[in-house]
Amino acid sequence: MRIRTARYIIKEGIVNTYRNILMSLASIMIVIATLVVFGFFLLIAMNLELNISVFKELPELEVFCYVELDDNQVSQVEESVKNNIKVSKYDIVTKLQAFEKMEERFGEDSIILDGYDESIFPVSFIIYLKDPSQSAEVVDEFKNVSGVEKVSYHQQTIDMISKVTYWMRFISGFMIMILLIISVFIISNTIKITVFARRREINIMKFIGATDWFIRWPFVVEGVIIGILGAAIAFILSGIGYNALENRFNQDLLSLNLMFFKMLKISDVWAQLVLYYSVIGVVVGAVGSFLSIRKYLRV
Amino acid sequence: MIELKDVTKKYPNGTVALQDVNLKIEKGEFVFIVGQSGSGKSTLVKLLLKEEDPTEGEVSVNGYEVTAMDRKDVPYLRRSLGVVFQDFRLLPNKTVYENVAFAMQITESLPKEIRRQVPMALALVGLSRKANMYPHQLSGGEQQRAALARALVNNPSVLIADEPTGNLDPETSFEIMKLLCEVNHRGTTVIVATHEKTIVDEMKKRVVAINKGLIIRDQEKGLYKDEDKNSQIYN
Repeated sequence: MRIRTARYIIKEGIVNTYRNILMSLASIMIVIATLVVFGFFLLIAMNLELNISVFKELPELEVFCYVELDDNQVSQVEESVKNNIKVSKYDIVTKLQAFEKMEERFGEDSIILDGYDESIFPVSFIIYLKDPSQSAEVVDEFKNVSGVEKVSYHQQTIDMISKVTYWMRFISGFMIMILLIISVFIISNTIKITVFARRREINIMKFIGATDWFIRWPFVVEGVIIGILGAAIAFILSGIGYNALENRFNQDLLSLNLMFFKMLKISDVWAQLVLYYSVIGVVVGAVGSFLSIRKYLRV
Repeated sequence: MIELKDVTKKYPNGTVALQDVNLKIEKGEFVFIVGQSGSGKSTLVKLLLKEEDPTEGEVSVNGYEVTAMDRKDVPYLRRSLGVVFQDFRLLPNKTVYENVAFAMQITESLPKEIRRQVPMALALVGLSRKANMYPHQLSGGEQQRAALARALVNNPSVLIADEPTGNLDPETSFEIMKLLCEVNHRGTTVIVATHEKTIVDEMKKRVVAINKGLIIRDQEKGLYKDEDKNSQIYN
């Protein structure tokens, strides 16, 4: 295809979109709706993924003492850990180590730890078992040791998040599929209207000897314009929405005591959003127009 | 060169539009296809443009085997033919110049070529001064001349006119016919389907008469009606 032909085709595509502005807007709306829903699920999935990986880095079994225990009481707890026959070995995490770990986890957000020192963190013991299948029993045993506030057993949490992620993928996949079908259908209807409005012109072009693709391309361009505009607006909307949510959420982190849960920043996700949105927008637009031309442009 | 061999066209509804038609038109000829509405002359034009395929027989146009042709080659067949219709078929939102240039854009001609050819085509049909007007600002005859310029701008070897004067008054009709003659003198084969007796009689060109799907007469320098008694069919 020559450049001047490409220029003609793009121009005609824009004119088509504009002439049929109401239907074009309706199509753009449905693309936006589809992509915003898609983005919603995508972002949840990405955040779950991030937090699962945080959990996976955590030791399997960790026994936390009460924050206010003195050294003597701590060594009593250590004694009971050492004496448990199911424990193969253990590491002690001091208050200072716990504080440093937390600083590391928050990275650039560690500013929220300003004004605190290691005294707010408990001493804990990371425990390795001889037989991992006994972990449930061991958890129960340590819960009853005096001076132990809680025993974290992350496998359950990881399993739960994995399950949630799985179902979320399933449900969101289903919903997105339906929305995509609706979008394709509406776009193809919009383009059918343009084709109908220009049928005289198409007929004339046929007799002058225009190739099928010369006639079809402007309609494909129309579909793609709808897809791209929809993607751009959807990106702006979901970007603003996510950013606001993320700001609120990360501010409330400390007060909600959601230390382990962390949300991705918009700067970490925007590139992926742009990629997915533009690919889906273009594909939906192109498929929509192909469907309508196939049937209505027997040229 | 155009050739139809034993061509029969039946429409799905059972109408037989053409039956065992054999016709040969040499390069540079001027031919009238005459007959009443429904006689089959429009079907003949449609076969040449591959708008319809014959039920039986073979059609060849400018070296293209139209019957056996691949769909994707059809545009190239049509580029080798210029077509003019009764209803002009100009694009209403384009000027005369743009309408003519459009035919060249479609064939992906160079802009330089377009700027050279379009004014020439417009000059040929005498519309140079109205190049920037829109079709609705023109008279019927002028619109048909614009359509003619569009049909000729790609230098087709054959010009097909389907009832070109159907919407025009007699005087304008003769002007268009004179133009077609001039085009023919330049070497283009011209085929005119019409049912206008006065024009055909005046021009004294080859006449192919069709009635009920059959070629009933093929005559050099013929008239619309033959003088002998066969012609009573036309009453």
